[in-house]
Amino acid sequence: MDEAAVGTRRTSGDEARTIQSPSEPSLWREFLRGFLRVLRANPLTFIGFILVLIISVVALLVVLVPLVSSVILGHTVLVTPYDPNALSTDYGQPPSASHLLGTDNLGQDVFSRIVAALPLDLAIGFGITGFALLVGGGLGLVAGYWDEPRTLGGAVSVIILRITDVFLAFPSLVLALAIAASLGRGTGPSMLAILLTWWPYYVRLARGEVLAVKHQPYVMAARAGGVSEVRILFRHVLRNLAEPLLVYYTLDVGTVIVTFSTISFIGIGVPLGVPEWGSMVESYERFLLTLPWTVLSAGAAIFVTVLAFSLFGDGLRDILDPRSRRALVQAAVPSTLAAKVAAAAEA
Amino acid sequence: MTRNNSDLIIFIGKRLLQLVPVILGVVVITFFFTHVAVQNPCAIWAGPHATQDQIAACRLKFGLDSPLTDQFWAYLSSLVTGDWGTNPTTEIPVLSTISTAFPATLELVLASLAIMTVLGIPLGVIAANGAGRWADHFVRTFYLSGWATPTYLGAVILAIGVGPVLGLPTKGDFSSTPTFPRPTHMSVVDALLNLNLPAAGDAVLHLILPASALAFLNLGIATRMTRTSMLEVLPLDFVKTARMKGLSEFRVLYKHALRNALITTITILGLTAGVLLSGTVVIENIFQWPGMGEYAFGAITGYNFKGTIGVVIIFAIVVVISNLIADVLYGLLDPRVEWR
Amino acid sequence: MVEPLLAIEGLSIDYEVGSGTFHALTDVSLTLVPGRVVGIVGETGSGKSTLGHAIPRLLREPPARIRSGRIVFRGTDILQLPRWKLPLLRGTGIGMIFQEPINSLNPAYRIFDQVAEAVIVRKARESRALPNPIRAVEPHDYSQGKPVKTGSALLHPAIPSFLGGGSRIRREALRSEVLDYLKLVRINDPETILELYPHELSGGMRQRIMIAMALSAKPSLLIADEPTSALDITIQAQVLTLMKELMDEVRTSILFISHDLGVIAEMADEVGVLYAGHLVEFGPVEEVYAAPRHPYTKLLLRSVPNRYKTDGPLPALSGSVPSLAQIPPGCPFHPRCPLVRDVCEKDPGPVLQRAQGAASPTHHAACYFSEEVDTIA
Repeated sequence: MDEAAVGTRRTSGDEARTIQSPSEPSLWREFLRGFLRVLRANPLTFIGFILVLIISVVALLVVLVPLVSSVILGHTVLVTPYDPNALSTDYGQPPSASHLLGTDNLGQDVFSRIVAALPLDLAIGFGITGFALLVGGGLGLVAGYWDEPRTLGGAVSVIILRITDVFLAFPSLVLALAIAASLGRGTGPSMLAILLTWWPYYVRLARGEVLAVKHQPYVMAARAGGVSEVRILFRHVLRNLAEPLLVYYTLDVGTVIVTFSTISFIGIGVPLGVPEWGSMVESYERFLLTLPWTVLSAGAAIFVTVLAFSLFGDGLRDILDPRSRRALVQAAVPSTLAAKVAAAAEA
Repeated sequence: MTRNNSDLIIFIGKRLLQLVPVILGVVVITFFFTHVAVQNPCAIWAGPHATQDQIAACRLKFGLDSPLTDQFWAYLSSLVTGDWGTNPTTEIPVLSTISTAFPATLELVLASLAIMTVLGIPLGVIAANGAGRWADHFVRTFYLSGWATPTYLGAVILAIGVGPVLGLPTKGDFSSTPTFPRPTHMSVVDALLNLNLPAAGDAVLHLILPASALAFLNLGIATRMTRTSMLEVLPLDFVKTARMKGLSEFRVLYKHALRNALITTITILGLTAGVLLSGTVVIENIFQWPGMGEYAFGAITGYNFKGTIGVVIIFAIVVVISNLIADVLYGLLDPRVEWR
Repeated sequence: MVEPLLAIEGLSIDYEVGSGTFHALTDVSLTLVPGRVVGIVGETGSGKSTLGHAIPRLLREPPARIRSGRIVFRGTDILQLPRWKLPLLRGTGIGMIFQEPINSLNPAYRIFDQVAEAVIVRKARESRALPNPIRAVEPHDYSQGKPVKTGSALLHPAIPSFLGGGSRIRREALRSEVLDYLKLVRINDPETILELYPHELSGGMRQRIMIAMALSAKPSLLIADEPTSALDITIQAQVLTLMKELMDEVRTSILFISHDLGVIAEMADEVGVLYAGHLVEFGPVEEVYAAPRHPYTKLLLRSVPNRYKTDGPLPALSGSVPSLAQIPPGCPFHPRCPLVRDVCEKDPGPVLQRAQGAASPTHHAACYFSEEVDTIA
């Protein structure tokens, strides 16, 4: 049983890794080298990386330029060519030199609205995922590291896992909708709603990874050598946790943006009038055949953003292969079955 | 070391027992969120022009003046006895709506799951077999596009753009309300049970767009997972052994390699149940499919608390059971797993 | 002169990976006469596995690239075959046993299904059930050899499936044939083993199953790629003994790849020595071992622990195996060779030819000074 499991679950590269944990400084250099290599070898990852960079810089500009200009110049300078909420009689214009993506049924400049929505969507993507990462990752670390039965830690980790099970059983969008609808229309309630359904995945992911690392020979060797538990936790466990969490985080930013825009699409995400991609698709939806540039540009904005993060995350995963991949599967599996096969492989 | 079938039954029994606390947790969370957050639902339930007296009568009727915990225990005890409450505005029992809406959603989800499997898994095999070559890049771009398209956008494009062009119906499950009895409430199955072939054809046509919308957007899950696990399996020696038996490349890939790669794909597909169900909320709303998603949407936006909780309970049960099915399939596909 | 079963001529294979080109094999030529066992010996990374995998075209191309050469198997150049024809060559034509018995059986299927699959493929080819013009390589006729001790499947021609009658009879026949092969590899209680999954068996047992499976296709050439290297030493001895007995019984031709000089001495009739992708010596195994005609072979043999030798440390080869990305010009061994002269560094290096001072006409070496090898202390 053991031999078979080892055989199919493990590659020889893994075997080499178990001998010793790579030391700190060389890890970053190794990561950077791998990163450059993947960027060079994989055009899709490169495109994703460049897009993520551009999107983030534009979002920062949209927020910072008006702020800084109002302080220095005394009046607000917009990054967007038009005020995103300014109505005009120029409605229903197809894309042209003056209106890059045309205007909508109210005469608002579609390009300006899309760019203006960027910071909100991106901040929500980074913010919620980051928060879920901290909360879920932390709980998962606790649940994975102190899981001895019949101890306080063991009891705590059982409670954490049971609560996680409950939240994992919710289809996230349904719970988010129910919460958002109960709390009323607005950005805050929808963010809270997504957050509440988002953290459990990170508990699973972190716990699976910790369990895998905990029984590695180098951890046992460190313990046998008298290294303190705290040091083991930081030097070995957290470090190994960082890689798969980073990959998952990158892939997840896009997913959160989609979920938030879905809530907006349904009409409870943002207050009326605030430019947001999902609510733009919703309000332009009926013009798909008459003013196609409106709904298609808003949709394309989400599409490109999510695609950028997916491509980039996929590439990151290639760098950190193959351990992160196995951990992702393990983390995603709700039962102990997959973990059992993996645990047998470690034994 | 051989496995025992009785162990499997014990395993399934244990997992079903775990369902109880999960459902309880789900009920508690949904109940308190809806009831705490919305202070005076009767203002909505009684209608926009209700008088103070009418609202007071409404509060009395739904027991809103008693403490929240009392309300919760009352609801929980009626839930256990099979009374899932009624929609406060239409007074239709929640359970009766769910019993017709759930099969319709199940049909939609199964149809898209079938599309995901039939299309997604071979695409993953093709991508893995030609890893790094044009076929791989093509497949990856294809599924990443699906992944990056928000559900509502894909559905809107299919419903408003593609549907009319192809002449496919975009609304509901039948062109005209069926007159035949509907024992299962699954459109295609009911029409076939009544031996009504034109109606069955009509139902299939109505199913195509919503099911492909749901499938295309989630195709990435099946394809990506198949691709990754095939990449893990293909370099293993038993694939070479299969080749060295003189088997055709097709048999090597699909009988030997895929059989092992499927183990992880199946697990992931089981986990997508939640994602697919979430998708139905938007897709059923756009395609006016008479299922749980549309009901959930109405219940959530209409402050139909009992309806909302009912939907969430059903969805949670489906998620847990599909995870269980995935686990059982996992064990059946991988003889090394022991039922414990 | 018997027509060779397998003739490799000037085979050169590169691996092209991101960081450069690796010359895994350079201008390798050898022939294998039916019924003989040819051993290939070399250190890790000398290209012996590449050679074993290249013959049935198992290498993934890219990264592998066959630069030049021919692999003529039963009169056909394998390298000229289109990809879709390759399965027809494998199984009944060329069988293979791999190094890791852990990985070489499919974990998802029972032993019976896996062995039966090979038998079914062979029977289909025997009965020519495959539509022409797709002609598969026919199975090797084992009945020419000595009578087989265990099992009768090898002697009886297979019953063509269309005469087999009902599917139950066919399944019974298949089952008894699979059982025969398990008995052939000396498995006790084969009835039970049939119903088990690979993970329920030990490594040695799995390797026996692999051998049974390869033989059940009746290949005319069996490639054994380090079949015992991953096994415990006692199990290794058992499997080797088994293979040796089977060789007498089935009289199939074997290409036996190993890094272990002792194993090769035990198993092979002829031996080829690989160094950095070059075949540096080839000849009858006794003669190569007794009187090597290439300095590398000599030094390699000398570094084998001798159980009677108690004085002093074990002599080791100085220097290290060159990287396959930067093989020295001329003779690849010259930087480590005690006999090195200026001519050794010049391209092209020495070619494999009849060694000076060798007793057997089939003893070849790629060294300008092969008669001086004896002088190496």
